This record gives sequence, structure tokens and C-alpha cells, in this order.
Amino acid sequence: MVFTILLSCGSVFAQKTINGTVSDNRGPLPGATVIEKGTSNGVSTDFDGNFSIEISNKSTILKISYTGFLTQEIDISNQLSINVILIEDAQMLQEVVVTALGFTEIKDQQGSTSSAVSTQEILRSGESTLANSLSGKASGLKISRSNGDPGAGSTIRIRGANTIGGSSDPLIIIDGVPLDNTTSYAGGNGQRDGGVTQGSRFNDINPSDIASVQVLKGASAAALWGSSAANGVIVITTKEGKKGDAKITYNTSYSFDQVSERIPMQDTWGQGTGGVYRAGNRDSWGDYIPDRSGAADVFNTSGAFFTADDGTVYYPITAKNSKDTFVESNWDSAFQTGNFLQNDLTISGGGEKSNYFFSLSNLSQDGIIKSSTYDRTNLRFNYTAKLNDWISLSNKVAYTYTDSNRIQQSSTVAGIMLGLLRTSPDFDVSDYKGTYTSSSGVEEINRHRSYRKHLGETQNPTYNNPLWTVNEQVSRTFVNRFTVTPQLTFKPTNWLQVITRANVDSSNDRRVYFFPVSSAGSQSPGEYQEDEIGTRVLNFDAIGKANFELSNDISLTTTLGWSINDRTYLRNSGRILGFLVNSNKQTTSLNTSSEASTFESAKSLRRTNRAYGIMNFDMYDQLFVNFSGGLEASSTINGTFFYPAVDLAWDFTKDTLKSDFLSFGKFRTSYGQVGVQPSAHKFETLAEGGFGYSTYSDPLSIDLFGGGFRLDNNLGNPNLKPEIKTEWEVGADLRFLNDDLTFSFTYYDNKIDGILLDVNLAPSTGFATQYGNYGKMKNNGLEFDLGWKAVDKEDFRVSTTINWSKNKNEVTDLFGTESISLSPGASVSSRAVVGYPLGVLFGTGSKKLADGTLDLNGNGFPQITSEPIVLGDPNPDWRAGVGLNVNYKKFNLNVVLEHSQGGDFSPRTLWVLRAMGTTGETAGRLTLDRDLTNYAGKIVPSGTTVRGSVGDFGGGQVLLDESWYRSGIGGGFGDNQAYNFSIKDATFTKVRELSLSYNLNSAAIKNAIGLKNILFTVTGRNLININRIPGIDPEVNQYGVGNALGLDYFTNPQTKSFLFSVSFNY
Amino acid sequence: MKKNIFKILLATLLMFVVSCEKIVEGINENPNDIIVADVSPKLFLTGTMLANVQLNCGHLNRIGGMYSGQLVGFNSLYSNIYGYNLSTAESNGEWNALYVGVLTNTRHIAANSTSNLLVGISKIIEGHAFGTAASLFGDIPYSESGNMDISDPVFDSQKDVYTQAIASIDAGIQSLNSATSVSLSEDIYFGGNKDKWIAAANTLKARFYLHMKDYPNAFIAAQSGIGSAIGDMKYIPRGATTITSGDKNLFYEILEGSRSGDIGNAKNGVESYLLQLIDKTKSGSRNHSKTDETARRAYFEINSSGGSENKGVVSQFEPQNMVTYFENQLIKAECAARASGAGAGLTHLNVLRAWMNTGKIVNNSFSSLNYNYAAFDLGDFQSGGIENIDGISADNAFLREVIEERYVSGFGMHMAYNDARRLRKTDEAIAVPFIMVGSNSNLLAERMPYSANELNSNFNAPSEDPGIFAKTAVNQ
Repeated sequence: MVFTILLSCGSVFAQKTINGTVSDNRGPLPGATVIEKGTSNGVSTDFDGNFSIEISNKSTILKISYTGFLTQEIDISNQLSINVILIEDAQMLQEVVVTALGFTEIKDQQGSTSSAVSTQEILRSGESTLANSLSGKASGLKISRSNGDPGAGSTIRIRGANTIGGSSDPLIIIDGVPLDNTTSYAGGNGQRDGGVTQGSRFNDINPSDIASVQVLKGASAAALWGSSAANGVIVITTKEGKKGDAKITYNTSYSFDQVSERIPMQDTWGQGTGGVYRAGNRDSWGDYIPDRSGAADVFNTSGAFFTADDGTVYYPITAKNSKDTFVESNWDSAFQTGNFLQNDLTISGGGEKSNYFFSLSNLSQDGIIKSSTYDRTNLRFNYTAKLNDWISLSNKVAYTYTDSNRIQQSSTVAGIMLGLLRTSPDFDVSDYKGTYTSSSGVEEINRHRSYRKHLGETQNPTYNNPLWTVNEQVSRTFVNRFTVTPQLTFKPTNWLQVITRANVDSSNDRRVYFFPVSSAGSQSPGEYQEDEIGTRVLNFDAIGKANFELSNDISLTTTLGWSINDRTYLRNSGRILGFLVNSNKQTTSLNTSSEASTFESAKSLRRTNRAYGIMNFDMYDQLFVNFSGGLEASSTINGTFFYPAVDLAWDFTKDTLKSDFLSFGKFRTSYGQVGVQPSAHKFETLAEGGFGYSTYSDPLSIDLFGGGFRLDNNLGNPNLKPEIKTEWEVGADLRFLNDDLTFSFTYYDNKIDGILLDVNLAPSTGFATQYGNYGKMKNNGLEFDLGWKAVDKEDFRVSTTINWSKNKNEVTDLFGTESISLSPGASVSSRAVVGYPLGVLFGTGSKKLADGTLDLNGNGFPQITSEPIVLGDPNPDWRAGVGLNVNYKKFNLNVVLEHSQGGDFSPRTLWVLRAMGTTGETAGRLTLDRDLTNYAGKIVPSGTTVRGSVGDFGGGQVLLDESWYRSGIGGGFGDNQAYNFSIKDATFTKVRELSLSYNLNSAAIKNAIGLKNILFTVTGRNLININRIPGIDPEVNQYGVGNALGLDYFTNPQTKSFLFSVSFNY
Repeated sequence: MKKNIFKILLATLLMFVVSCEKIVEGINENPNDIIVADVSPKLFLTGTMLANVQLNCGHLNRIGGMYSGQLVGFNSLYSNIYGYNLSTAESNGEWNALYVGVLTNTRHIAANSTSNLLVGISKIIEGHAFGTAASLFGDIPYSESGNMDISDPVFDSQKDVYTQAIASIDAGIQSLNSATSVSLSEDIYFGGNKDKWIAAANTLKARFYLHMKDYPNAFIAAQSGIGSAIGDMKYIPRGATTITSGDKNLFYEILEGSRSGDIGNAKNGVESYLLQLIDKTKSGSRNHSKTDETARRAYFEINSSGGSENKGVVSQFEPQNMVTYFENQLIKAECAARASGAGAGLTHLNVLRAWMNTGKIVNNSFSSLNYNYAAFDLGDFQSGGIENIDGISADNAFLREVIEERYVSGFGMHMAYNDARRLRKTDEAIAVPFIMVGSNSNLLAERMPYSANELNSNFNAPSEDPGIFAKTAVNQ
């Protein structure tokens, strides 16, 4: 149908010629559109703003328009020559949206919802990465940074969860082409539950280069991108130069970062168990430190000893007398006040036929954990040239280099928080490295001294000393990335525009992992690995766009496009495990035995081919209807799929309801389908190598037994289809009181069919999993956005914005499987469970009776369930962002607050530390005033002074002591714990941003040093952070960027910051 | 003009659309993995054997060890399990090893190999794995397993699983009878020696008949079983000393990794029943004038603080028993005595003790310590004899000694746990009266839980696990 309309359009009758010029208050306007009203007859102005149009006698009105200016209509019935001066439409400038294809459209005419975040808002946030700077600024957009590590990736979710097994990342379109924004956890990082945090490729973008960010939330706006767009689309436009003298901006910022909160630790109970001090013990359920004599410790100097690098000698303790504790000094030896220094230079400008934008930026960051660093350099050059009246060429080139050192975290014995928080309060971590001398006099150099091996007596210290993690282990990542986006635009006539656009996005991430000999765990013999991860995305688009006036009141814009997208991924990993030489030099010479080295390569290739069309009807300037469809074939999909969308917007204030009170009102509704592409290379069941079998921390690896194969435990699936999300939405945009008050709301409802996931087969089928279209899910939600310009005077302006959103998600089908873990390796897992929201927390809990009370044992304690149960839902009930901006003369105050209400969180760190006895909650000491029974069933008589507290599970008072926390089900590891007591409320409120700036723009400055202005800004980030979990920020995520939520396990902490910046504008 | 431009555009677009799928064809073939048909069947063998090792020597073996007084769970997960908090998640590893590791791949070898040796070995491994699984779990899926047309295999009765497992072993023996031994490095148990396989297969049959209390058939099978310790089927750790996991003694790996201190048999003065039983200084120890367990006790003692702290049974390169000569000999002794009295069994026991007395029951680190396993005579089992000071019948006294020897020698195998359940009801008099030091010894675990993954995904699985105290069919 599209084509029929296209082909039946337009015949031209020339009768009379009008000449003229179009200009604005600065000079001629090239490229303005001049149309004979009510017809499709029109021309564009040339570089001098001149035009010449032959008109029929159908109309006597010429319509002259240019984006960002008020359209004018001129009666030419008695004229042959006109000069038009267009007036800038300030209102209009803020109200354009950039569509998924990179076109600029007028927001008031769109039937689908989007939220814009301005460049000013991004820069003012003072965040070092773009994702985090979007936090709290748009309804329906949730940004969660997984921890406070410099350069860490963030999980971005638009309108809740859309997929289970696939990526939750939205599609990022930058200058019209998709950007690779994956977060790779492959290679030497180990399992996802532990290792180092990884950066998202999204972080490679320099926030200073951005002109606008548009968040397209609904399916209809994104349908053109087919199977890439189910998670929504973030459309980014980079800056371009403007005609005129070169504009030079130099900005420098310095930030101080601190840990946002700390777990309350105890310093009154020593290392050991059962109230007895024992050196080398895992736990801190030892003696009561204040009861020690305070004399010097007594040592056995006759046998083995440890000589620290500074010469201090340690012997085995035979009597622990010292009352010294080291909780603070141990912390301070590993943590610091982090900082970053950022310098940005931009130069932009343009002439008659070309414009340019150049930027150079460097960010140099030291994290709050010593040795954690992030250094990023960005270079960008955007250039546009008009070759002649109808062809223009532009090219955008960006280069990013990052160099970062990451600190091991979460579920690995080599991690910092794990080693630090488990260390007994009476153990000083400072002398962590030295020589162990055995009782027979044998010396072992570079041994690792930790609280469990305080003489460094074994090569494996069980857990790292935190200083070893910080100072000896290395996890570097070096990224080189180029993106080049050339574009040719043809505008042969005023009604037709053809764009050909290509993109190369190539990045290389080299990761180096180094664990010296005597690192904890399986790395204790020494491990050195390098991963080289290369990704290349090629994209080509050809887009034709044509305008037609179908009648006096109806116009049509048609877009046809073709796009091909090709993505390759290649990882090469080489590893040396077990060093012959005990050295920290990163070289393969550490062990030349071929047995010690392994090489692994992984590739993935995928290609997508799409054709798409859009028909956009503008009826009576108040009804806007948009049809679009994309036809797509992809290498990962069996067959071709069509993605339709339609949206409608009605400006009911144009004719119907306009009043002084209601200045603008639009009703909108839309419907659309988008998808998620299957993972590559899943069609066949193949022979799999490199596997292992482990039943509990006891792996057997086929690679160490001469290699071999098995039938891949994931059964192949030749019938993969995209998962399809079908969404409709309805809403309205309203503006009141001369646009001072704006209000919009949207209700959306979607269902997602054929969700791609690894469904667990019954193991007895002989296969563990099969990847396929095996799930169903649904979401519905509400979004509100409110804006109010409370005061709008020359010297005093106050404005505020509020966004509020809620999303309700439910997993409706998993093909017979009851649940699917999104967080492999965790005893409390985040799962997909039928009938519950995605990501529910799942693990063993306490048995309950029919009336909902706990099914207690004879001693009044809970009993664990034999199978895991749903423990909580980590998804928030609702989220809100509040912004306040006050401008008084040269001062500007900006506040961004974010609140997340409800949801559950399982801080397993606290749970495990209960068993270890290092946290404040285990430090209680009381004298019983009655007999109480503990978890072991022992009756502790009245009058006894015990370590513990009094609890009541509903069967009367009981004693919560070591037998509950350490050896019972009230703290510790594994699948056999009463984890229902580990669940906490995840509600939080954060003042994301509190900034005050002063704009120095006096004439004196300008005359003296030629600067237009200097802007001074002080920003506080996350300074106020209110939550209900002791010492842990519920925003952290052990599983990093992904679908698992609500878990923490010795994950590196979040930060709060002070930032100072100065910006010079020339 | 307009028409023409649009016609060209349209034609171009249509061309692209038509070629839509062609442009993306063929790219999805996996560039990383090899297609199954290109891999020689023998290359699937090692993986099945490693899976079978985990089933026999892994987590559930350690749990069975705790539930029969041989091991103590000191910390973390193992202290919980020692207190009978055992969830279905703990069986996932073994269940995966059984079906994904063993079944799929032994079936693949059997269906695709033309070598009688490979086919025979793979069928015996399958029978070994399923017999073990029947003993641990009771009723499990088998007859409908490994068939891609059946997504929810039914659970066969425990006895049927045993019968099918024995049938698979018999089929394996039959294949091997017409095979020739070749050096086969993929066979990490026996290196392609068919005679060792046939003998071990017969011992396995004897073991499973014994589980079913079919003592006459057990005795018959044991006649063709492993005839000397050279024929023992063991998991033999290997590789570089610097590598601490992936190819080492599994117990060593547990203790050398982050689970150090969690499980063992002697820590801070707490010793398991097994260690006390062979400790000369303990009353009720089994040491006497003809038996000295000094060396074996030292060999069995586990230093929980780290794998590398050990030189004995859980040291880095110490092999782990799977099917052994001593097991075969003790089956003969027990079954002979059950059929024809103590005298008939004694010969078999004394043959074993003569071998034990060569010091081969401990490794080189402990063989210089004292040991003595002198031959018994019938008088030792008569009322008042050194093995019968409490005056029970001589036959029972003999059987009691055989079971006790199985309890001690079988450390690290499922043997003690299986015997405890087999003998508890009808043969209380000869069972080892172990206690679980520091836990509740009155609770008697009767089976391992089903895998949470199976319960989760199989419609034919019971709606919930019967629990660890439910007796399986053969132990009613």
C-alpha cells in the first residue's frame, strides 16, 4: 500500500515564478523549505538563502519552514519577489525528538513516548560514565550501577524486564547507528558470581560529546529495529559545530570519592570458636577481648616463624593477651579517598559550507579501593560539508582508550571484601608478605600471611589478606575503540531525501589477570592469563524519505530503508597455571612447561538484514498517524520476521479544547512489536570439550585428563525464533498556564512470547539444558512526568520536575520448568519462577504451618525447608525522580533525588559474616535473667553471661548464640540455611546530585582575557543515601550487568563524592 | 521524475528484501565446537569416567561417610548436613554426572563405536553408575532415560534399576569377551585391559546383588570378580603438583580450596567413630593380638586445615577406591558364611588379611608404622574368642568381623553407608554400631535426596522429595 500511494503522487503544473530569500536575524538560512501551500510543490533555499519556485495557481500562499523556527505563511497573490525573516522558536527547540533512525521530529506530533535528557543534565551530574549520569532523570528508566568501582558497568532497564536469558541492555543508537554496548564477562574473569567487575562498552562514550539523549520506551518507537529493540532504545546524538567563529570550551573537574557506607563490625570478640581464642581459626567466635590481661602475647619461638618483608618476625601465639584490635586500621590499609581528574577540551565552529566539532577528553581516576584505577581518553571529530546544493557529506570519528585496574570481588577467595570482612578483629593485616621458615629451617619466600595462615605456613592462605588483593594481584583491562560513521545525504528535490550511512565500530579489550604464587584458592600455584577480546560491528543503512501533500489538510511523509548489520566477536585467551618461578613479572616464562599453559579461542558471528518502511500522516495539523514495519532476517533465526507498529497522536487543543488554562493537550496511543534475537550458534548439538564435573568444590576437568569430549549438555535447537514483545500504550501530554506546568502520563501493557532461555531439561533426559523459545512474561506499568516552572523571571528562575513510574512484571510460563536461575553459583539465587516477577530471590527458608506461622522445632527454633522456596521479590514497587533547579542571578542550584520504594534484597555478605562472627550484629553480650535454650538444644541457665542475643520465633524466647549463627541455620553458607531471615527491604532514597554553580560572565572578564564566561560548579553525588540495610547499598549487584537482581556477596561497595569543576568558554 | 526515482528505489529495496535470508545464511554454524560425527567415539570415554568418579567419590560419598560415622562435618555446609539439614540441591552434581555425564555419552559410544572393547567398557560404566545411583536414591528414571522423545522419563523402581544395571554390566562383559585388549589412554581406569574390566564388572555385579540381599548370586559373581589388588578400579589423581584442583584427590581439593576446615574426621580433639574404632588407645577399638591398626589409623587421619597438610588417604595424589579386591574378597567371605557358616567364610577373610599384612593397605608414607593382620582361626569367633568376647553365635561373630572390616576398609567408598542401611533391620547383631560424634545418632539417614533439578523439570518426578529418612525398597 505504501508504494501505491507513493507512486500515485505528485504532478506539477508550472504557472508563475516567485523569487526570494529566507534569513534569520543573523543572516541567510540555507536549506529552508518553501512550499506552495496545499500542494507537494516546493523547493529549498540555497547557501545564500535564495530560492526560486514555479507555482501553479492552486494557492496564493507560500509556507516557509525551517526546523527550530516558526513556520510562516506568506500571501503571494500580488508579489513576484519576497524576503522572509524567520523567527527562532525557543519552545520548539526543546520539543523536538530524535527518532530511532536519527531524524529530528516534533515531539508534540508523536504518538509514542520518549524522555529526553539534556546534555546539561548529563554534564552537571559529574558522573564519570554516561549510564550513571542518566539515573533518576527519566520515568521508566532504571540505572543500577553494580558497584562503586571506577568504570564499572551499570544495568539499564527500560520499563522492567523484557527477557530472561538474553541481554537486558537497551539498544543504543548513536548518530543513527547501533553502538556495541555489551558487557563481556568471558575469559579469565572466572564465574560471573565472583571475579572483577567489568565495564560496559557504553562507558566508552564521552559524556561531553553528547548533544542529546532520548529514551524511547515503547515498542512502537523501536519497531524499526526489530529483534534488537525489545529492551527499548536510547538514542544519542553527538554535538555538531555551528556556523560562526570557533567556540572553545575547556572544562576541568576534580572529584573526591568515598565509600558510601560500611558494614558495622565488632571488635570485642577474638579469633576462635566456642569462646576460646584460636589462632588460624576461620571464625571470630573466640574469647572476650576486654577480659584479656592486656600484657604482651606469648609466643612459641622454638619452631616455625614468618619474617615479613619489613623484617618483623611472627611466631605462633601460645597465649593471646593483647587487647589490640585492628578493624579500623585494616580497613584503612585497603581503602582510601578516591579521586578523579577530568579535563575536556572542545572546539567547534563552521563556515558557509561546512562545520566541525572536535573534542579531546581525559579522565584519570583512582578508586576508593587502593590500586583500582580507570583512565579514559576520548577523541572525537565530527565534520559536515555541503558538497553542492543537493549532496552533503558528514563523517564522525571517535576514538576511546581506557586503561583500568580492577579489584577482585564477590564470591572468590581472592576478593578484597571477602578477605577483609572475614578477618578477625584482633588480627593485623599489615604484614601480609614475607618469608616462612619451617620448624626444620626450610625457607619459602613471598609467602602470603593472612588471618587463617598467620605464619604463611601454606602456599594457599585459604582467603586472601586484603592487602594481597590490592597490592599483589592484577586485573588490568586496556580498551582501544574506534567508531567511524560516514554519511552521504542526497536532497535532489525538496520533497525527497536519501541518506546512505555506514558505521564501523571496532574495539579491542585486552585483559590481564595476574595472581602471584600464594594467592588464595586454586590460584595459589600462581596464575597468569591474558584475554584479547575483539568486537567489530559493521552497519550500513540506506534510507529514502519523501514528503507529499495529499490534500490541503493531509500530508504524508514516507520513509523506506534497508539496513544490514554484521557483528563479529573473537576472544583469544592464553593462560599459565602454576609458576616454576616465584616472581611477579607478567611473562609466560614463569613456567615454560607446555603442561602449564592453555590456549582457548571463542568466536561468534551474526548478521541481520532488514528492510523497513514508515508512513507518517499529518491530518489537519492535529491528528498524526504513523505506520511502520520492519522485515528482518537474521543468521541466528530460522525464517524471516515482520515487526509492525502503529501510533496515533491527537492534538485536541488545536481546535477543540484550547483555553487559557490548558495551553496544549495531546492524546496518544500506540501499538507495536519488537524482539530479542537468539544467541548465535545454537542450532546444533555439538561435541563439547573443556567441561568438568564437580559435586561440591571438587572439580575434575577433562582438560587435565588428556582432553576429550562429551555431547554438549545443551541440546541444540534448529527452530529458534526471536522472542516477541507486543506492547500497547495510551497516554496524554498536557501543558497548562502558558506551558508553565507540564504533565504527561502513560499506561503500557506488554506481553513477551517465546522468551529465549536455557530451559532446564529433566537431567534424566540426558541433557541439562536446551536453548529455545521457552518462556512467557508480561509487564504493565504507569509513568508520570510533571514539570513546573514555578518562577520564571529574568534573574530568578525556579523549576522542578518529578517523574514516577511503576512496573508490574510476571513470568507466566517456563515450559514446565518451575524456575530458572539467573545467578548460577548463589545459594540465594535470583530466578525466573512462574507466577512471580522476574528475578525473585530463591533459596531454602523456614518451614511454615498452614496459618503462616513458623513450624518450630521442640526448642523453639525454625526448621529449614527441604527444597528452595521464593524468599522475596527484588523488583521495586515504584520509583521516582525529583529534580529542582533554582537560578538566581549568576548562581544555579540543582538537586536530583531518586527514590526506589519496596522490593527485597539479600545481603548474603551479612549472612555469611554471622557465621564468622565479625559483624556488630553477632557481638551482643548479656547475662541471662532466665533459662534459655539455644539452637543446639542446650539450656543455658539464668545468670550465665553469654555472647548472643535473645530472639523469639513465635514459640517463646530463645538464645541466639554461636550455635544459631555459626553452626546452625542462622548464618553461613550453602543450601541449608534459613535464608528467609536474610531478606531485607531494598527501599532507598538517594540524593544523586546536589550542585551549585556560579557563572562568571562579566564584561571585565571578556575584555581582560577574552573569555565569554567561566562556570564554577560544586557537585555532591550520592551524598545522602538512606536505606534499611546495615552497611550495604541495595543498589549493588553481585552479578553485575544482567538480569539477576537483589544479591550481594562481598561485592565492592558504592561511593559518594564531592566534585569541583571549572568550565572556560571562549 | 518522481515516479522514476521511486520506482528505482522500490526495485532496489525489493531486491534486498528478496535476498533477505540469503545474506544471512550459513553464518550460524558454530565456529567454536566440533560436530559430533567428526569426533571418534573413544574420545567420549574419559568424560564418562570422570563423571562416574564424581558419582562414586564426590559430595554424596562424603555425606554418606558422615551418615555412617566415618566423617564429621565441622563447619559451614558440612556441619549443617551433619545435622541432617540436607536439601535437594546437594544431589544436583551427582545427578548431572549420572545422566548428562555418564548415560548420554556411554550410549553414544555404544551406538557409534565398532570396537567391542569400547562398547563393553561403556556398558559397564553405565551399569556401575546406575547401580550406584539406585543404592543412593532408590527409585530413579532409567528405562525411559536418555531418549530425546521422552522429556519426562518415569521413575523405575529401585529393584528394576538394579536389574537393568546388572543387565548392562552383563552386556558389557559379553562385548568384552569378544574384544581384544589394546592400549587405550582414554581409559583412565584400566588403560584398555579387558581382563581387568571383566573382573571389576563381576565385582560390581556382586556388590549390587549384595545390596539386594541376594547373597547366593553375589557369591557367584564374586567368584569371577577382582582377584588381586592390581585389578582394583581406582580414581588416580594426576598432573602437576602446582595444580591444586581439577585432577587431584577430591577430598584434597575440598580442603585445599575454600572449604578448608569444613569436614574431616579429627579436628580439635573431635574424632569420628571410625577413627576411634581403629585407635589402640580407645576402649572398644578393634585392635587386639591379631590386629594392629596403627599404620592404617595414621593413614586415615585427615588434617582438615588444608589438603596439602595431608600425606594419607586424602593427600594430593592419593588414589580413591571405586571397585576393589578387598571388596570382592569380603563379599565372598560374607556370602560364604551366610550360606555355610563361619568356617566357609574364614578362608576368604584370611586370604584378604594375608594381603593386608603386606602393608599395601596404606601408602608409602605410613608403611613403616606398625600393622598386623594375622590369620584368624575359628576359635577366635567362638564364644570368648578375641572376636566374640560378648558371646554371640560364632557365625554372627564372624559376620560381624567381616562387616567391621568392610566398614574400615571401605572408607572413602559408599560401602559403610550401604551396609548400615542394608543391615539395620534384619542383621542388627552384625552391623557396626557407629555413632555420629557430636550429632544426633538416633536419626538414621536412609537415602540421598533427589536432585532439585530433576524435581523441578520432570512431570513424572514425585511432587516432593520423600526425604532422607524414607527407606528405599531394598532396605525395608
